Amino acid sequence: MTGPAPLAADRPDGSAGDATSGDIRKEMLAAAQSLDRSAPSPAAAMTSDLSIDEELTLHSIGWEPIELVYGVSLHSIPMGVWNWGQGEITHASSAFARSFAAATDRIHHECARSGGHGVVGVHVERNVDRHHIGIALTGTAVRPVGAKKLPSADSVFVSDLSGRDFTLLQGSGWMPLGLAAGASFVYAPRRSMGTAMKQTSQNVELTNFTEAMYAARESAMERMQRSALALQGTGVVEVKVTEGPMEFAHHAIGFSAYGTVIRLVAGQHRNLAPRMVLPLDDPVRGVEATALRGA
Amino acid sequence: MDDVPGDLPEAAARRFSEGAFTSGLTVPDFAACLQMGLEPAGYVQGFCVMKWGSWQFYPGAGPYGGYGPNVAGTHGGYSESWQCPHGFVSAEHRVWGQNYEQPWVEDAWANGFTSAYERLIEEASALGAHGIVGLVDTSAPLGDLGVLEFRVQGTAVKVKDGPPPADGRPWTTYLAGQRLAKLIEAGYMPVSIAATVASVRVWASCITAYLTEGTNPGWTSQAVGAEIEQTARAQMAVRRIARERVRAQLGGDSLHGASMGTRERELGEGDADLECILRGNRVRRFKEFDPMPAPRPTVRLS
Repeated sequence: MTGPAPLAADRPDGSAGDATSGDIRKEMLAAAQSLDRSAPSPAAAMTSDLSIDEELTLHSIGWEPIELVYGVSLHSIPMGVWNWGQGEITHASSAFARSFAAATDRIHHECARSGGHGVVGVHVERNVDRHHIGIALTGTAVRPVGAKKLPSADSVFVSDLSGRDFTLLQGSGWMPLGLAAGASFVYAPRRSMGTAMKQTSQNVELTNFTEAMYAARESAMERMQRSALALQGTGVVEVKVTEGPMEFAHHAIGFSAYGTVIRLVAGQHRNLAPRMVLPLDDPVRGVEATALRGA
Repeated sequence: MDDVPGDLPEAAARRFSEGAFTSGLTVPDFAACLQMGLEPAGYVQGFCVMKWGSWQFYPGAGPYGGYGPNVAGTHGGYSESWQCPHGFVSAEHRVWGQNYEQPWVEDAWANGFTSAYERLIEEASALGAHGIVGLVDTSAPLGDLGVLEFRVQGTAVKVKDGPPPADGRPWTTYLAGQRLAKLIEAGYMPVSIAATVASVRVWASCITAYLTEGTNPGWTSQAVGAEIEQTARAQMAVRRIARERVRAQLGGDSLHGASMGTRERELGEGDADLECILRGNRVRRFKEFDPMPAPRPTVRLS
């Protein structure tokens, strides 16, 4: 089994690591024996929803997780706005925007309070209801290893990139700045009685729905792009979109998009130059036939 | 085999003494465990079926019971209230609102989970295990009875040439195989799993009810499209309580690979039951971190 501990030759200084790092059995034994010792001080405790792979990759670029953080906001949508109409359903679009902004603001404060310099792996939950829209953000606050200075809430970044993606991004000279989001809800106008009658027996595009979809998309994407520019970002990566008619109002089309705003912080983009690998695995799972006892 | 605890079924004791091991590990995880010096001792399980006291009084309230008697604030914990800004409107008007923690729901969940977990530990101890890996816990309503079944299962293991646990309790982790190996190599030892639930009831004020239902009677000063502050604060509080409770379980250890799941049951007119379950691996650092060099990116040709 190849664990994460590198071979001595792979280390930048060519030095060997911990004497036991090559022997996972010795490590396991030492780890089990360590439980006899008393627990560290509560100040050292951290919480994180990152996987061990993500934490290791973060450590490799000098960052560490410190706290599981969140931000939630719900905004009301007045009764009646989903009834038939024309154009954008501005109450719903602005409720989404304000909920996203308030949830982001709260996760910023949570992060700063815990001493984090940013949040990675943010999971975004969107709940569009007839009378309210809710946004919940959950992620792990991270900081450069051992950083003591508490940042201000305005200076932390929030990103839905995984630990691995954050590492790759930083390695190529870029940094996440924050989450950008945009949403638009648009009425698909009614067809006239005559048009509906004419289309009854035809295979025909319902242009009112197609046009509503395009209108919603353009407004939402534009809003997301504007919020990226407001963060002084160069672009948005990992954009995720949700689109389609509302469950409770099929004549209304919703389109929402969010992603991580990034900016080049190095002098220029650094190519990662990935190495090509050709796996030679057979599709059969291999088992090392080690005797269970007395091996 | 070690002494069998008295309340373990006789059949289980017989099965444990038969010699062959059982395991819930996949073949790759099994191979990785052997390589780490972890020998499977047996597939161990714990179950508990819980029925909450409040259920019998509020049969329509779902598997976790109702909001119980109006004892808001009397159990301590989180509580916030909102006053109606309108003065007297009618006898039906919601003149106040409150968010409050529901310790009886949390206690019932904790009792069910802990009982199932302790039974799992008991089985593993009977096998003389040092730890339990690949743990899986689930809970599901049992039939239509307002009853919740807790299931905790995993593979008990012995550390080859390792000492028995100091306090006699095996360590536990949701991880197994390569992920556990990486955790150990990164310098962390699993101590136990950590899991908790937080439950908050939203008893909506008039403003919260109007905003949640999208209504505006005309004479209220509420802003159209405003934030539903009471519910938003309850959503933040239920997450904070869960995090604080897990932190209280950690001592000075850390929580790894946490999963925070929330559930909202809308009861109408802004009233809601909120629940947050937070679980993860409690781990302890046993050696200084030995950072690996920046990973080398690869592209798979397949």
